[in-house]
Amino acid sequence: MAQYLPVLALLILAALFAAISFVASKLLAPRRPTEEKLAPYECGIIPGREPPQRFPVRFYLVAMLFVVFDIELVFLYPWAMIHRELALYGLVAILIFSALVFESFVYLISKGALDWGTLQVSRRQHNELVGSQRTSSSTIRRVGGEGRFEEVVRTREPVVTEEAAA
Amino acid sequence: MGGHPFLADGVDFGDVLLSLVMVVAAFVICLVATMLMVWFERKVVSRLQNRIGPNVAGPFGLLQTLADGIKLFFKEDIIPTRSDRFVFQLAPYLSLVPAFLTFTLVPIAGDFSGGNGSSTVFGREFYWQVADVPVGILFFLAMSSLGIYGIMLAGWSSGSKYPLLASVRASAQAISYEAALGLSLASVLLVAGTLSTHDIVLGQAGSLQTLNVVATGFVPFVVFLIAGTAELNRPPFDLVEAEQELVGGFHTEYSSIRFALFFLAEFMNTVTMGAIIVTLFFGGPAPLFDFPFIDFPHAWWMGFILFFAKLLVFLFIFVWFRASLPRLRYDQLMDLGWKLLIPLSLGWLLILGGIRVARDGNIGIVDDSIGDTIIVLVLGGMVLAVGASLIMLANRNARSERLRNEGLVAVANPDLGTSRAADHATTGPPGASHDTAQVGADH
Repeated sequence: MAQYLPVLALLILAALFAAISFVASKLLAPRRPTEEKLAPYECGIIPGREPPQRFPVRFYLVAMLFVVFDIELVFLYPWAMIHRELALYGLVAILIFSALVFESFVYLISKGALDWGTLQVSRRQHNELVGSQRTSSSTIRRVGGEGRFEEVVRTREPVVTEEAAA
Repeated sequence: MGGHPFLADGVDFGDVLLSLVMVVAAFVICLVATMLMVWFERKVVSRLQNRIGPNVAGPFGLLQTLADGIKLFFKEDIIPTRSDRFVFQLAPYLSLVPAFLTFTLVPIAGDFSGGNGSSTVFGREFYWQVADVPVGILFFLAMSSLGIYGIMLAGWSSGSKYPLLASVRASAQAISYEAALGLSLASVLLVAGTLSTHDIVLGQAGSLQTLNVVATGFVPFVVFLIAGTAELNRPPFDLVEAEQELVGGFHTEYSSIRFALFFLAEFMNTVTMGAIIVTLFFGGPAPLFDFPFIDFPHAWWMGFILFFAKLLVFLFIFVWFRASLPRLRYDQLMDLGWKLLIPLSLGWLLILGGIRVARDGNIGIVDDSIGDTIIVLVLGGMVLAVGASLIMLANRNARSERLRNEGLVAVANPDLGTSRAADHATTGPPGASHDTAQVGADH
């Protein structure tokens, strides 16, 4: 444990440095708080609402997936260290293990767990004479991609779930 | 096993004193390096943008950072009313202390061209790094995870919308890229066979083939560099501080010295990350290869010069990234991390392991180990290809599912070419119409 001694010393030194900086700032800096100054900074707009307490569930999915991969790492590191001694047995074991993790990873991707943001589609324009200028219906026009991009055609109304309709 | 020899056999007063001297030296080096890094970044970016950059405070503006730091001491320190006071005050510590501690692992000097990189003072043999802890490089991963707490809690405790959004983004980004970082690091450990940073450097000394960047086959290095940049929240991965969307990012509500400490931690992390890359992949203070004609002095300061030269290259690359690459969109960021870097580094690690087991003659598909290695290489390439196509398939499936849910259908329309070609024939420029007509005719 003696090897951790310098680390501990640096930890204390760094914390002291931060603490002394705060004290120095407290002594040197002016303190004239006003209500406006202490309000959350939103570029001059008066904050109307509390910050959101709930987040898109995707962030939690990413966190869970991270745990899965972190646990995989926990098993991979010891194998990486002694893979020579374990030889073929260790290699096969780690391959099976990785294949299992990878399989569930692929399943998650195919379920869209790692899709973010809006859907990137190029909508088909029905033989309109569209120039390169912006119009009220279109701001952008793709040229040169004929037949290469998959085109998207609206066939029916979007699926509206009951919660969304309510 | 690694570890300072002078700390291995009991600790007396002299040992403690030597440790303290090293700690203070490292502390000063950290601060000065950070100060110079800020100056370097501003100067290089401004040159790349055809500006002059800081040039007033000190020679070449070298003291600009110091001037800024001193100014920040005299600025009013604001703790917003809606903030969680305790956590708000705690967050800068959580950001700064891990930044310092990561640096302890980096060997910055020592004679690795022949010697074992140690020096002796007052009969005490030590390595040119603050600590060579038994967990070695895992300590780096631990500290980079702890650093995220600083950012996360800073944003959460501010009681303001944009810092909160930034901190949620930051933590999602950091954990996404940490997996890639850890997996590419595993390749290095596979080759090095040790966790101690000193031994990792020692193992790389001697020739070009033993450098980890060559021995691991370059890919882990690229993954590590990208994931490291993302871990630092540096451009092009600086969504945490995307000022167009998030005001100032997670430290919007921080002012005065609290802001300065975040800033310090950020740049210190940059320097340390560069140093870790140099240590892991480019042999730190060890020479890149055995120079054939010139005999360099075998002294500890030669190691320092080599280390510093290598470090400078990576610091320049970080700044270069910032000056030339536009910021990624959030979905692009997540796609790059999860769907490319993680599977790639995992596959690469397994292939590397397979090759090394085969080279030892432990697989036995054919009689000699070279044949085995080739078979493993081919099989590994096939597995990588299958994995990549599985991910692409899964991606496509996810996309078509989303399209279906929105009432859209993706069609690979065979008559598309002709109809679009007709469009172009009427609207496009004369030169283009010929080309598109060709495409249409092919269909």
